[in-house]
Amino acid sequence: MKNSETITVDELAVEQNSNGGSPLVVETRGLKKTYFGKIDVPVLHGLDIKIYAHEFVAIIGQSGSGKSTLLNILGALDVPTGGTVLINGTDISTLDEDELATLRSDDVGFIFQSHYLLNEFTCLENALMPVTIRHGEADEEQTDRVLRLLERVGLSDQINKHPDEMSGGQNQRCAIVRSLANSPKIILADEPTGNLDSRSGEEVFSMMREMNRESGVAFVMITHDDRLAQAADRILLIEDGNIFEISKEAHRERVAK
Amino acid sequence: MKSFFNIFISALVPKKLRFEFQLALRHLLSGGWQTILTISAVAAGVIIVIFITSLIFGLQEMMSDLLTESIPHVVVQVEDPKPKTLTNTENPTSSRIEEQASQLKFIDNWEQVVRTIRGLPNVRGVSPVVSGQGFASKGANPVGVSVVGAEPELLDVITPITKDLTSGKYRGLGSDEIVIDAELAKDLNTQVGERIRLTSSSGQSDSFTIAGIYSRGQGRGSAYVTLRNGQSLFGFGTSVNVIYVKVYNIYDVENLSNTIMALTPYEAKPWTIDFSRFLVNMQMMGASAYLISIFSLIASAFAIASVLVVSVLQKSSQIGILKSMGARQRQILTVFIFEGLGVAIMGSSLGAVIGMMIVHFIGLLERPDSTGTGASNAMFPVRILPLYIGLAILAAIITTVIAAVLPARQAAKLNPVDVMR
Ligand SMILES: Nc1ncnc2c1ncn2[C@@H]1O[C@H](COP(=O)(O)OP(=O)(O)O)[C@@H](O)[C@H]1O
Ligand SMILES: [Mg+2]
Repeated sequence: MKNSETITVDELAVEQNSNGGSPLVVETRGLKKTYFGKIDVPVLHGLDIKIYAHEFVAIIGQSGSGKSTLLNILGALDVPTGGTVLINGTDISTLDEDELATLRSDDVGFIFQSHYLLNEFTCLENALMPVTIRHGEADEEQTDRVLRLLERVGLSDQINKHPDEMSGGQNQRCAIVRSLANSPKIILADEPTGNLDSRSGEEVFSMMREMNRESGVAFVMITHDDRLAQAADRILLIEDGNIFEISKEAHRERVAK
Repeated sequence: MKSFFNIFISALVPKKLRFEFQLALRHLLSGGWQTILTISAVAAGVIIVIFITSLIFGLQEMMSDLLTESIPHVVVQVEDPKPKTLTNTENPTSSRIEEQASQLKFIDNWEQVVRTIRGLPNVRGVSPVVSGQGFASKGANPVGVSVVGAEPELLDVITPITKDLTSGKYRGLGSDEIVIDAELAKDLNTQVGERIRLTSSSGQSDSFTIAGIYSRGQGRGSAYVTLRNGQSLFGFGTSVNVIYVKVYNIYDVENLSNTIMALTPYEAKPWTIDFSRFLVNMQMMGASAYLISIFSLIASAFAIASVLVVSVLQKSSQIGILKSMGARQRQILTVFIFEGLGVAIMGSSLGAVIGMMIVHFIGLLERPDSTGTGASNAMFPVRILPLYIGLAILAAIITTVIAAVLPARQAAKLNPVDVMR
């Protein structure tokens, strides 16, 4: 299956590590996932992935290839059926429920295709929710930080609105701020622009890219939008249960085909 | 509104629980019809239980009141003479008592017996009584009547008469006065203030002024005279032949009879002997009241649970997203405990208020044929029973919290992705 233009992730990781010297945020070793049911569905066949701080990684692949499955496992929302996942060097299979909750709260942020904001709360309250969950209440400093982020994504005048009073793009920008609320090390975004028209999609993407550059938080973003993938630092392709890193050149050629 | 809640929360809810409290509050406030429906289900359950218990237990209480308030609870008298058997002749003590009993049907030392009984627990009133048969007449046509001679103030506690008077008085009855029942008054064609003649079964005779006429609406009643008049009418001297005892707890009367029989040589017959069937019926009625209450509680529990379970299951994906943001299982459970408590407290207090109001107003309804006196004119003899209201509220709260927490617990246990789809 491998052709000359694909390099394994491991090779590249070693390369990057030696070049950039950025710390590893997430690593998987031989990651496997099979959905057991009436028919067992093997989805991931043993993936070795390394994600470093400061990176913006795009994951592409056909629908049903296992992109979401992978992302959920990387963020400890789902458990693998084989292999290990290390977040900040910790094997997450050794963590109990409460420690997993702490990890999801402090180290990982999520953005989904749907914004999943809570309609019972305002934009500001939604953006502060990870802080509220963690501390019971946001203090002034935390609130100020989130207010600044909301300003950065252009939602200053929307902070008291509820999700059903805002547009899809505005909600998704609010969800971005929410994913950043506890200053995580990595943000996992599953088709964050998938529900948006191309203009708001691009807006949302460029905001994510800015946050990545400014705060150094790593992003792993699943996307079907080839132009957005081109704008990432690295592109990972999932195909037939395996993952490959492909160069932007190779990606452009694939798209052209 | 929102700022009011915020002040309330920062004042009352510890910081650690503020997120959970806020979320539960928002769920309830934004729940609209669903919140109203669940609160109504809880309220309805509490109303039904309050209604049924106050109706059934009220009916039960009224029936036992009706019966036992007009009868003495223990009747102390000389044992009925029994035919002598061979064993009695072999036992000198027993034969001596037997002899005495057949000669003297009255209680000589009644003052001492009354004093002894007054000192016993559960005793509400004691009245020495002369009781016998006689004839009442006004001019011709004597009519048979039971005659009771007793101190009005003492007897009124045991077989209330004043309460049933339709005219005249009973308390403060004079030495030549009598109180008769309405039926006798009709038969004799007489009224308060007129005089009638009373002849006892032992032949003595005297005439009395009618001081009062009473009606219990249940056949012919006795004629009441003072103790002294009774004694002279029946030739008892200073003795009586019966002592009536009234108690506080009518279901604990056998103990008292046994004690009286142990302390005195007389027979003490508890009311339960003559009314054993009634007692069994009362117990069956009590049991069915409990059963009906329990079943109505279970039925409303299912109603509450089904509404609540649906509304919690609808929040499954929210539970998933909260977990993805770092919420712990315990936090999610706390949210739904708060939510269940909120629904339960609002619903059951609403239900308690409405239930008590319904019971109160139903209790005010009167039978169309009521005579206008006494407490027995209510169409529904309801009682507001704080214990059962408390139990209904407690049961509603427990059910509601369980119905809210169980599905939430189920959802909170799963991997976030499994509930987010
Ligand atoms: N909970 C599940 N149970 C069974 N099969 C699943 C489940 N979730 C995903 N799958 C299957 O796993 C495969 C990968 O799904 P997914 O990771 O969502 O793909 P992608 O995000 O790349 O479109 C698909 O074939 C999908 O049908
Ligand atoms: Mg997907």
